[in-house]
Amino acid sequence: MNNKLLLPLLLFTIIGCSEGFNFEFSLGDSGSESINPGIDNAFASTYAPMNSEPILFKSANIYDGLGGEFRNYDLLLSEGKILEIGEAITAPGVMVINATDKWITPGIIDIHSHMGVYSAPGVSTSSDGNEATSPVTAEVWAEHSLWTQDPQYALALKGGVTAFHVLPGSANLFGGRGATFKNVSQNTVQAMKFPGAPHSLKMACGENPKRVYGNRRQAPSTRMGNMAGYRSAWIDAVEYTDGMNEKDSDRRPTRDLAMDTLMGVLNGEILIQNHCYRAEEMAMMIELSKEFNYKITTFHHAVEAYKIADLLADEGICAALWADWWGFKHEAYDMVQANVAIIDQARNGTGCAIVHSDDAVGIQHLNQEAAKAMAAGNRAGYEISKAHAMRWITSNPAKAAGILDQTGSIEVGKDADIVLWTGNPFSVYSRAETVLIDGAFAFDMNNPKIQPITDFDLGIIQPQTNRVQ
Amino acid sequence: MKRLSLSLFLLFTLNLLSETVLLKGGLVHLGNGDIAKTQDILISDNIIIGVGTNLIIDGNTRVIEVNGLPITPGLISPMSNLGIVEINALDVTRDDEPDLLSAGFSIFNAFNPHSTGIPWNRSNGVTSAISTPSASSFPIFGLGSHFVLDGSLEIKGSKDIAMFGRLGASYGSRAETLSILESLLDIGKMVNTLSIEEILEMNLADQLELQAQDIVALGKVVNDGMPFVLETNRAVDILQALSMKKRYGLNLVLVSVEEAPMVLGQLKESNTPVIIDPMDNIPNSFDELGSSLDLGKILDQAGVPIMFSTQRSHNYHLMRQGAGNAVAYGMSYETAIKGMSNTVAQTFRLNNRGSIEAGKLADVIVWDGDPLEPSSFPKIVMIEGQLQDLSSRSTKLTERYTNTENKPSSYKH
Repeated sequence: MNNKLLLPLLLFTIIGCSEGFNFEFSLGDSGSESINPGIDNAFASTYAPMNSEPILFKSANIYDGLGGEFRNYDLLLSEGKILEIGEAITAPGVMVINATDKWITPGIIDIHSHMGVYSAPGVSTSSDGNEATSPVTAEVWAEHSLWTQDPQYALALKGGVTAFHVLPGSANLFGGRGATFKNVSQNTVQAMKFPGAPHSLKMACGENPKRVYGNRRQAPSTRMGNMAGYRSAWIDAVEYTDGMNEKDSDRRPTRDLAMDTLMGVLNGEILIQNHCYRAEEMAMMIELSKEFNYKITTFHHAVEAYKIADLLADEGICAALWADWWGFKHEAYDMVQANVAIIDQARNGTGCAIVHSDDAVGIQHLNQEAAKAMAAGNRAGYEISKAHAMRWITSNPAKAAGILDQTGSIEVGKDADIVLWTGNPFSVYSRAETVLIDGAFAFDMNNPKIQPITDFDLGIIQPQTNRVQ
Repeated sequence: MKRLSLSLFLLFTLNLLSETVLLKGGLVHLGNGDIAKTQDILISDNIIIGVGTNLIIDGNTRVIEVNGLPITPGLISPMSNLGIVEINALDVTRDDEPDLLSAGFSIFNAFNPHSTGIPWNRSNGVTSAISTPSASSFPIFGLGSHFVLDGSLEIKGSKDIAMFGRLGASYGSRAETLSILESLLDIGKMVNTLSIEEILEMNLADQLELQAQDIVALGKVVNDGMPFVLETNRAVDILQALSMKKRYGLNLVLVSVEEAPMVLGQLKESNTPVIIDPMDNIPNSFDELGSSLDLGKILDQAGVPIMFSTQRSHNYHLMRQGAGNAVAYGMSYETAIKGMSNTVAQTFRLNNRGSIEAGKLADVIVWDGDPLEPSSFPKIVMIEGQLQDLSSRSTKLTERYTNTENKPSSYKH
């Protein structure tokens, strides 16, 4: 026997990510014409909703995801969209689901997932989330790693998750592009991609990049090294963008994948999702964004966001947070459970708080995580209602992913991404009974035929026995 | 035994400080599996002296009206790193990893009662915990100890109460792991007939790099019924562990057991308690393909004693959330409460705690709501009859950053 080797630390110390989101512009249809039209359409979504028929939920209790609560309301879905919300809706000939004493919410959205890039089982051959070969890898795209047969999607679906944003890991200063997906298993990545959703660029502060590269005796090995790395890349990106804007195509630079991504950020087409724990580092990243004139959409894992809650509210930056994770590394030491609530309530309630998972178990219970964060906020003296807290896992992450026009709330005309819960979703005892995506049944707890089983799950225990869900 | 004298010392000091307290009118979960009912709890010094509805009290008894709120025993984490790990990613703050020892590695003397995780977990209802060595490539990690989380430098606990290890895919072949485990148990058996020195001189002990402490500890597992806690998941590995239990007469406890439903009959028959994370339904490895949220229900219905681990470090109170999810998926409510208290005490022979009954140490929590709802929080935490401060570094930071005075935060204290 060799000496007793210590088990490596859990992957989570390196795979945390962050995403940022831009409030100001609607990214799907900003007026700016791309210099390279081909870039934007590469690997475009081919998602097509599953078949659906009109459905009328009767006598439901509804959180609309925007802060509204409606008791004993009806909800009519048709052609994949929300058609009507109201009292005593009639729709002859339509499938009726009695939702008395049950609750309906928008589909849950996770702004921070590594499903598909850190698939289960978590073996080396499925470790596809960190291109940890250089601190600047803005050229890689998370979707190019995605495994469509990851069994974790179906588990998240069972927890009410209808859309999720997949990010590269946080080993690098610039980890690469993230993308948003509808939680409908398909055999190609493009068929899962959320139509029209913007890309993000994952950036990471703090311990992870400096540890990964510092251990190799290369830059960055310090937080100041991190900053220098970002700034150098943005200087290149500004020059590249200016070059690409040259009228004379001969004077434009050779196309560069990493620079394409950074240029997309500078042009407002790609949203910054920034893994960043500490308060002063977030403030530093805001300064950086001003130096190079781009927008940070969201700080992710921001354990110390509560220390600069007003600054984040003033800058229109969301904070995507855990309810209570802490202690796994030094920059996650100053945890307060009221973090989400403090962000939410900053500047007279104009803050943008998100409860995120970064975790294949956590993504299944974001409703419970929001419940903990709400209760902690109320213990700290706030008065936050359940209807309000529902925003943290629906409309706010939709905003941060740039898909709020399509989903994230129960409003007429939006995608019918809906969860019917057996009881109040803030209770541990409530389960997602039915999950609809674009009006189609994606999950039904009472109907095994409407519970997805991936190719991975199929017959893997015994030929006759699928992996249980 | 050292522990006895320590306890006597504490009894004496607490007597000087304590009083008789009646917790009146709570919805009391005894922790023993009985359905909760509304009753009173009388506590004198550090001991529960009565549970019922017509307890006789005198004029000096302090009465705390509980007004129907739920009461449970103080929660006991069966597997934590409280007091021995401050920050996981900083090795210099970790005392859970040996360099030289293996089976006999004891973390007891490393326990830091001032670790920030202790007030945090205590304020969330965890009144004592078993802290364990971390997993290693060697199939046995060392010995866990039980600690009372009152933060006192007069450390209250039980030293080296269980041995922890694993069986399954991680390093090399599980066939070799099994062979090593059996060799180690064989060595433990030899402690009956050979001196430690004689065993140390054997080739086998040398090959396994065993120290005297390792051999002594293995002897306790094989000969004295010290709980032997093995993490294992694959159905066939569970059967191997049960076979080892039978052959060596082990006091076996299994951890994780995600494929236990496939070998339920054998597990039930073996009367082996288990520690599960009811929320872990991820097939994290090829050992865990059978993982499911139904695990708790299935084990409960078979009558297997169940305890709860948590997915990550530092928040051991989140076993409540795990237990709540287990109930949502079909485990009985009182099994869930018992799994966080009396089952742990029984399994690890912590005979004076874990349930609310006369004669037990008064580790008691009054909750502001259903203790299985993650949004509930303790209103009262009592450890050995003493009311505990519910503040922590986290609450101090919250106070500081919700203070709107216009001055630098470092002056807000």
